[in-house]
Amino acid sequence: MDETVAEYIRRTVVKIPRGEIKTVLQKWGFLSETQLQTINFNQIKENISQDVVQLCEENSADIKQAAVLDIIYNHIYPNKRVWSVYQMNKTGEETEFFDLTDFKKKFKRRLRSALKNVTINFRECEDNAIWIRIAWGTPYTKPNQYKTSYVVYHSQTPYVFISASVLKSNLPLLCQALVVASNYHDIREMELRSHSLNSLKDIVFKRYSQNFQTYYPRPLQERNVAPESADLRIIQENRNEKERIQRVNWEVFGDGPQPKLEFAQYKLETMFKSDPKMKVLDKKEPFRCLVKFSSPHLLESLKSLAPAGMADAPLSPLLTCIPQKARNYFKIREKKGLFPGSFVSP
Amino acid sequence: RGKMEEGEAYSPDEVFAHLEMLEAQAHEAAVKQEETEQQEEKLARLQARVQELTFQRDELRAKVDLQQKGQLGKEGVVSDPAQPSAQAVLEWKIKSVTAMLQVFYLTGISGKLTKRGVCFCISTAYEGTYLDSYYLDLLTKPEVRIHRHSVPIFIPLEQIAKKYLQTDIRRFLSVLSDHLNAYVGRRYQADQLQEHFSDHIEGTLQRNSLCNLLVFNYNVSSKSKTFPFNARLLYGDLCRSLPTEAVVSPPPDAPASLAETAAAHSDLFRRVALHKAFGSFSGAEES
Repeated sequence: MDETVAEYIRRTVVKIPRGEIKTVLQKWGFLSETQLQTINFNQIKENISQDVVQLCEENSADIKQAAVLDIIYNHIYPNKRVWSVYQMNKTGEETEFFDLTDFKKKFKRRLRSALKNVTINFRECEDNAIWIRIAWGTPYTKPNQYKTSYVVYHSQTPYVFISASVLKSNLPLLCQALVVASNYHDIREMELRSHSLNSLKDIVFKRYSQNFQTYYPRPLQERNVAPESADLRIIQENRNEKERIQRVNWEVFGDGPQPKLEFAQYKLETMFKSDPKMKVLDKKEPFRCLVKFSSPHLLESLKSLAPAGMADAPLSPLLTCIPQKARNYFKIREKKGLFPGSFVSP
Repeated sequence: RGKMEEGEAYSPDEVFAHLEMLEAQAHEAAVKQEETEQQEEKLARLQARVQELTFQRDELRAKVDLQQKGQLGKEGVVSDPAQPSAQAVLEWKIKSVTAMLQVFYLTGISGKLTKRGVCFCISTAYEGTYLDSYYLDLLTKPEVRIHRHSVPIFIPLEQIAKKYLQTDIRRFLSVLSDHLNAYVGRRYQADQLQEHFSDHIEGTLQRNSLCNLLVFNYNVSSKSKTFPFNARLLYGDLCRSLPTEAVVSPPPDAPASLAETAAAHSDLFRRVALHKAFGSFSGAEES
């Protein structure tokens, strides 16, 4: 077995939390159950990884199996990477007959025609997701297995989720290959980025909780607010206002869990509005300013702002439009005459 | 008197003590009598009050009766002594409206007017099993357009909207409902196949988001030998849940007789739901 392959497998195993190494290896399926029994998973990770490499040696693992292990690792722990969303466009109206074999063939052919030194691996995961792992080389060097990009694509959708590597220069190549393989015309990057791949999927596939008004309501018991304090001496003075805030919040955010985003960024290119006597920024140039909201879970924290009394309800539509507009990077320019309010660029 | 005649035996103190005692007794008796009289007065007053109130109640009752009779008299309906109360009528109305709305919901397309338009709910089902519901929030001014929706991204919603939304909203909803129902039907069949017939399938079932192309290998046994057949089901019509094309190929090493079986299977897949087709295979093999 190749030295580099062995080292790559070893390093991948070491990344996995110790208690979960066995499960991941079982999912990989390259080592048999009897082989896995011989490993002591209670020792330190370094030793476990050595044992695993030993067994892989016996089974003559090659780069393909190592790549599959890497895909499985990233599929189980996708939140360790930052994912961007790309949208593809096509003008045709023919019915889609997405053929996976056809897709793989076209993708590999297109990518390899531009750059011979790449390792390409595919894996179909549940939920109809196709994972593609690409290890990049250069025209003169072999692919570097540690410089990888990952692509997640759901067939017959115009969205692609890409976690690029440091080599941003290969991105156009990758995008080209995707467009050709999936029979679309062009591709553009959306202003939507997060660590949580599933949340990005929820947003663009519209799987997040939106509340629609229907006549078929859920039983009212589900919508009860928390029971009031049993102590009759405590009286809620502003109960009406609290209920109004709850209602407005529900209308905007719905009932279910929010998609997980870590930040929202607003780039302001608006004019600074000050007292004319102050003579600040007389040049009438846009005042460039960047406002960034960060949080471990941005949308949930926005949802709890009004009930916690920290903001007025309803919140600014610039904050609440994030899932619906499927973006968390905004550019706000000055309103241009006829249009009221700030102009948010597409 | 008797006592006085025996006379000088009582001292003046004893006489005064006796007199005091008699005085006290008289006082007590007087107080008691007063209390009793007061109680009797009170009782009499209360009784009178009770009579007053009873009289008032009867008066009011008579008034209410008259009013009810008077109203019914205007409508020309004979008053029913067992008339249901207003509360019961309201409850019945709510029940029947809820039932009506549920009926609409169960038919598959229901809607509710909103402040700026209308919100539709398309509920899907396949052969008696209710599956997912999808929502469309439409705005009606200045023109009909989709504000928000929960339709899966791979359903050609934009295309359908471009064709029908402005001109014929009924047709739009009907076509969209056909697409959604067919999609969930295809998905249901593929899921059932993977769930209940996984032992018949060799390897993985290749599918896609729309479930309109399924490729898989399945085992066919003949004369105690199993042969892996390859099936490629193409669902050309997105509004149908049965394939338009079913290519079944036996393996190259299979005997010639199996070519007929392959053709029969191909025909079966085009006519019958996928999981039901496999159900019939199991039946045939057992017999």
